[in-house]
Amino acid sequence: MAPDRSRKWLVGGPPLAYLLVFFAAPLAIMALASFRAPGDFGGLAPLVLQDESGAHLNVTPEAYATLFSDFLYGWLFLKSFAYAAFATVLCLAAGYPLALLIARSPRKYRDILVLLVILPFWSNFLIRVYAWMMILGPQSFVMRALNGALGLAGIEPVSLLYTPAAVVITLVYVHLPFMVLPLYANLEKHDPALLDAAQDLGAGAWQRFWRVTFPLSLPGVYAGAALVFIPAFGIFAIPDLVGGTGGIMIGNVIKQQFLDTRDWPFGAALSLVLMAGAIALSGFAALLGRGTRA
Amino acid sequence: MNRAWIVLLLALAGPGAWAQTNELHLFNWNDYIAPETVERFQQSCKCKVVQTYYSDNEELVAKLAAGAKGYDVLVPTSNYVLGMAKAGWIQPLDHAKLPSLKNVMPQYRGGAYDPGNKYSAPYAMSITLIGYNEAKIQELGVPVGSWAAVFDPKIVSKLNKRVTVLDSQSEVLAAALKYLGYSVNDRDPKHWEEAKQVILKAKPYWAAFNASSYIKELASGNIWLVHGYSNDIFQADKGAQEAKQSFRIRHSLPKEGAVLALDVMVVAKSAPRPDLAHQFVNFMLEGRNSAELTNMIGSGNPNQDALRYIRPEIKANKAIFADERSVKTLEQLKDMTPKQRQLLNRIWTEIKSR
Amino acid sequence: MKRRSAWLWCAAIAVYLFLYAPLAIVVLYSFNDSRLNAQWVGFTFAWYEKLFHNEAMLVAARNSLLIALAAAAASTVLGTMAGLALHRYRLRLLPVLVLATIAIPEILMGVSLLIFFVLLNITLGMVSIILAHITFCIGFVALVVRARLAGMDESLTEAARDLGATPAQAFRWVTLPLIMPGIAAGALMAFTLSLDDFVITFFTAGAGSATLPLQIYTMVKIAVTPEVNAVSTLLMLLTLTLILIATRLSPSVLQTENRR
Repeated sequence: MAPDRSRKWLVGGPPLAYLLVFFAAPLAIMALASFRAPGDFGGLAPLVLQDESGAHLNVTPEAYATLFSDFLYGWLFLKSFAYAAFATVLCLAAGYPLALLIARSPRKYRDILVLLVILPFWSNFLIRVYAWMMILGPQSFVMRALNGALGLAGIEPVSLLYTPAAVVITLVYVHLPFMVLPLYANLEKHDPALLDAAQDLGAGAWQRFWRVTFPLSLPGVYAGAALVFIPAFGIFAIPDLVGGTGGIMIGNVIKQQFLDTRDWPFGAALSLVLMAGAIALSGFAALLGRGTRA
Repeated sequence: MNRAWIVLLLALAGPGAWAQTNELHLFNWNDYIAPETVERFQQSCKCKVVQTYYSDNEELVAKLAAGAKGYDVLVPTSNYVLGMAKAGWIQPLDHAKLPSLKNVMPQYRGGAYDPGNKYSAPYAMSITLIGYNEAKIQELGVPVGSWAAVFDPKIVSKLNKRVTVLDSQSEVLAAALKYLGYSVNDRDPKHWEEAKQVILKAKPYWAAFNASSYIKELASGNIWLVHGYSNDIFQADKGAQEAKQSFRIRHSLPKEGAVLALDVMVVAKSAPRPDLAHQFVNFMLEGRNSAELTNMIGSGNPNQDALRYIRPEIKANKAIFADERSVKTLEQLKDMTPKQRQLLNRIWTEIKSR
Repeated sequence: MKRRSAWLWCAAIAVYLFLYAPLAIVVLYSFNDSRLNAQWVGFTFAWYEKLFHNEAMLVAARNSLLIALAAAAASTVLGTMAGLALHRYRLRLLPVLVLATIAIPEILMGVSLLIFFVLLNITLGMVSIILAHITFCIGFVALVVRARLAGMDESLTEAARDLGATPAQAFRWVTLPLIMPGIAAGALMAFTLSLDDFVITFFTAGAGSATLPLQIYTMVKIAVTPEVNAVSTLLMLLTLTLILIATRLSPSVLQTENRR
């Protein structure tokens, strides 16, 4: 197994080294920071304090104590989880048919169809969200039509902007390519012969999908779900812009610690708990997936 | 499309040639200096002004706190100056190089935020007040002379949720404190609790906490009343006129008073070119240059010499240049201790979650 | 033909409409004769003209493209290696690190990298931005490549080895073509992430480095003029052109080569 071991380091070594240097080391600095006190004006208080009794380490678990003792933050974690999970499910529902269609298109169209999925996302995030604010705002064609129809049914006009619905819609929009691309990469390699065989054995269209295509695509589903859920869990820009007065997620609280309250230890603590939660959830989901693999 | 390629190629080639010349690194708010002013300064100092931007004081502070260097001139708000000096991020100004400092109006010099202007020179200012859609407000008969227009449920409820409030814990707290009759710098936790209750009662009638797109929303008629900055509201009115709207956007300075934000220029301690930095600061203290920003965005101006260059309609605007009586009700925010900031953040998070 | 049902077509077209509705607004409003761009006023090319004279914006756009290309290239290579390693070998720390780069809030990554760079006395500039971008892109590429590898037919690789190919040859001629669509998908995602990043770039940028998001996000309060829409439209067109050229040169990188 010796050649295998050296290949393990040959292939896995460079990315591991890069991540250790440029990710793990900075993260360790902030992990330590979560145990320090905030500086008087900003940043962090000195790590070592000199006073009459000599030098001692200025560390405190206060940040974590506040985090875990105050239900408000737990509630916000749950709320963010709910939004992110819901957006992920919708992303999957919207992205799967698209990925499937592209994967089964004639070869000469596939490239351009994939590029068309991601093309909108080379424009600037802010103006895309502003465009959504226009679409969801009371004066847009879509909303006027919708409210007109509701008016016929005798229902009060609704405003989608500045509501939880706006947050979810925008979350789905912004993350859609990150669901479609991994799904496509997986679906594209499915051997059509398997489906032919299933059909020859008498399976209908839905059965062919549910018993052949979907199980084979599960790794793509997990990758897409991870690449949508995990970032969505900690996002702050979208609730800020379209969420209205109640649109706050845990990502906003984290941002405020660094860009408002200047409480870096608390911000670091919140972030680490967020990361631990996201990784634990992914691990859990992966375990489930392994269990159901046919 | 040909032109595009040519310009892109030129853009690729262009900046390389500048790298060897004198450069002043200005870290400033975006759209907070007139392009003509920059151009004129570049001519006068035979240098290039390289601008990078932030959109909030806290972004500036966070970067400096993490150790970023390379900037010459920074433009924070006055309440940050003493903290930045104590943290060692800015250097004292050499008044010998700043003969135009005398142009600053006496009431905006040094004072509490920076005794003797040791570190900072006033740049521009704005007042946080109420902006509104004149037509709609007249139609609905809503009184806008007081913060009650934002905080009193009986009044705000008339506005059909077309109200936004700044997305800033300190600004909203300050407005609520003023409404209750306290100072914006009141740090009594009991008063903060009162302010929190006031905000929670009014919140159901607000559409959003918005610090950025409220200008567009005002100008397009989606939002009818905002808690915002005076120069933003000035821009909203310009935008509404440009779009040939049937309404104007007006300011109102509430009778209880408001927050005055005075932005100042400081020189970074690690500035690569302190000489150019001082040249720039002095340049911006000259009346003509200072006035160009006011004429562009409707910002308030603490510079006496600038007054003769400012357009008359801006000078006459009471919300930009407050009159004698109102000036007494204006206050500048002061910085808080870490514990106070934590308490405020807890209150703010709770307000936003409910 | 028999596998593409009507409902699949309908669903897919609906999603494309969903994707392009806001984009239609973005492009349309780049021709809007209104500085505030809150409502449609009239048609004009003026903003494109202003853009061509706006050196700062054009330089920022150029920088963004260069950074995105460099970061995408490096992170695709490292990410593919990571994806392979995740699938084939048991490297204890790698799965956690990869997931952590995706889970970490951007602000924390930005601040921590800035502190790190300052500690090591690395001057902030384009290079620091690229290094930061690579860090958050690796995870995305790795997960897509691993998804592509999962369930892949290992017998092909084994057959190659049995026929005398070295591991390197087996990789180059068997594995690599098979996972290429996954790599290409990952590269596209990395490029997109880098092009539009603000928070991390803000913290790791130097005093003179400008990228398009840094210009635009700080304009957020007042001057998100149609010029921004114009530069976005042009950038999209330019990027699309570059990528189409690239796909013409390297055939069908997003598709498995024909097995029949």
